[in-house]
Amino acid sequence: MKRIFNRGNASAILTVVVLLAAWEIVARIMKSVYVPPVSTIATTFVHEWFSPTFGQQAIPSLYRMVVGYFFASVVGITIGIVIGSSKAMYRLLDPVLQFLRAIPPTAIIPVGILLIGIGDQMKMVVIAFGSMWPILINTADGARLVPAERLDTARNFGLTPFETLLRVIVPSATPMIAAGMRTGLSIAFIMIVVSEMIGSTDGLGYYILSAQRTFAIPEMYGGIALLAILGYLLNAGFVWAEHRVLAWHYGQTARPV
Amino acid sequence: MTKKRSPVNWTGFGFFLLCAAVVEVLARKGYLTSYVPPPSTIVAALWTGLLNGEISSQIFWTLQVYVQGLVLATVLAIAIGVLMGTYLPVFNALKIIVEFLRPVPSVAMIPLAILFFGLGAQMRMSVVTYAAFWPMLISTIYGVRAIDPLALDVARNFGVTGTEALWRVTFPSALTSIATGFRVSATIALVVTITTELIAGNSGIGYYISQMEQADRLPPMYAAIILTGLLGYLLNTVYFALENKFVFWTPAARERAV
Repeated sequence: MKRIFNRGNASAILTVVVLLAAWEIVARIMKSVYVPPVSTIATTFVHEWFSPTFGQQAIPSLYRMVVGYFFASVVGITIGIVIGSSKAMYRLLDPVLQFLRAIPPTAIIPVGILLIGIGDQMKMVVIAFGSMWPILINTADGARLVPAERLDTARNFGLTPFETLLRVIVPSATPMIAAGMRTGLSIAFIMIVVSEMIGSTDGLGYYILSAQRTFAIPEMYGGIALLAILGYLLNAGFVWAEHRVLAWHYGQTARPV
Repeated sequence: MTKKRSPVNWTGFGFFLLCAAVVEVLARKGYLTSYVPPPSTIVAALWTGLLNGEISSQIFWTLQVYVQGLVLATVLAIAIGVLMGTYLPVFNALKIIVEFLRPVPSVAMIPLAILFFGLGAQMRMSVVTYAAFWPMLISTIYGVRAIDPLALDVARNFGVTGTEALWRVTFPSALTSIATGFRVSATIALVVTITTELIAGNSGIGYYISQMEQADRLPPMYAAIILTGLLGYLLNTVYFALENKFVFWTPAARERAV
């Protein structure tokens, strides 16, 4: 798929240029408040985001997200390993976890506001809650589905249960954990935007929604564009890190990278 | 070696009830904050809300937006996906736009949607369509591209070409991948429907949750939150059943049938 995406770039770029040009021309002719010309949005983007506004709006969002996501990863991987490597724990906790997981993560935000208020803490907690589930479930599956021969080998070599956990189960589950963390990251990103739209006085979610309410339309488009760029960079960064950390795995399974 | 287990996970459900019972006692004794009502009052609120229509009417509004958005997204995604998957020039022309728009979190589009559609159901539907479109588009493109060239060659030998080949070979082969994409999209669509209602709605379960939060009526608020989970679970079960019945040639369905 990757190769396919690299072919025929000329027509791809041409389409983008034509569309942007058409947007610019139509917007200038229509003079609609709702659709400012691309050039205006670009100017506003540079003016807004290469300024202290970035520190005031984008940095708080990223900070909350990183902290929430960190806790989600720690808690999700820990519980996931525990219930994945013990059948008894899995059966005990499965219904509770299925129940909590089925709730759409954003529906938790009002509860977070009630219990914690609208500060940074609330956002970190709801981000952690929302992005924890894919990490937890994937980790549990990864730990549960360790090939039996690996466990048998470990037993033959006389590894203690703790050593088996650390040296066999955790490494075997890592590719699954990474897949869960990637899903978790995109949920964390959505959660930060939504939680800032519902209860906040700063952050990117707050910024774009209040830009719309105050009819600062180019600012709104610029904010959405920044979210798009950040979302793209976060995902690309994660994939980059994953391929470095899991190089051994891709080597082993000979999957084309 | 393996012990026979009953198909119902009694241990797990017992533990679930135990957790609920502990919260119940703690809440009734006043050890928890007043923001955590006893679970029994939540269940009671859900029951009465469903019976007297206060909550059940909201389900209708949520499902309406959800179904409309999902259907529109499905039609658009399959149409564009089949075109992009079949014709390389179309794929090349659109790929950068797809790669650029796909990572935009759908909720970031809410302000834009409000600008164009106001606060009504149409606005929510447009956001749901946007969110549900991408997974299905990608899985349609993959599905169409993954077609065994042999199948198309055989079709050509039998004189099946053009639109007919698209309809009788390409589409059924890709349908397995499309079905998977549909389930992903359907899950996202429900979450986005409720999220949009929470942020800027005037009806639906999400709107109801935020209203109850502001009115400090906590049992119905929790009841509605739990309801969203039940709804998601129910819909997912239905889609699985439908997929097994109608797209029975998918690898996953075949595996389950064996």
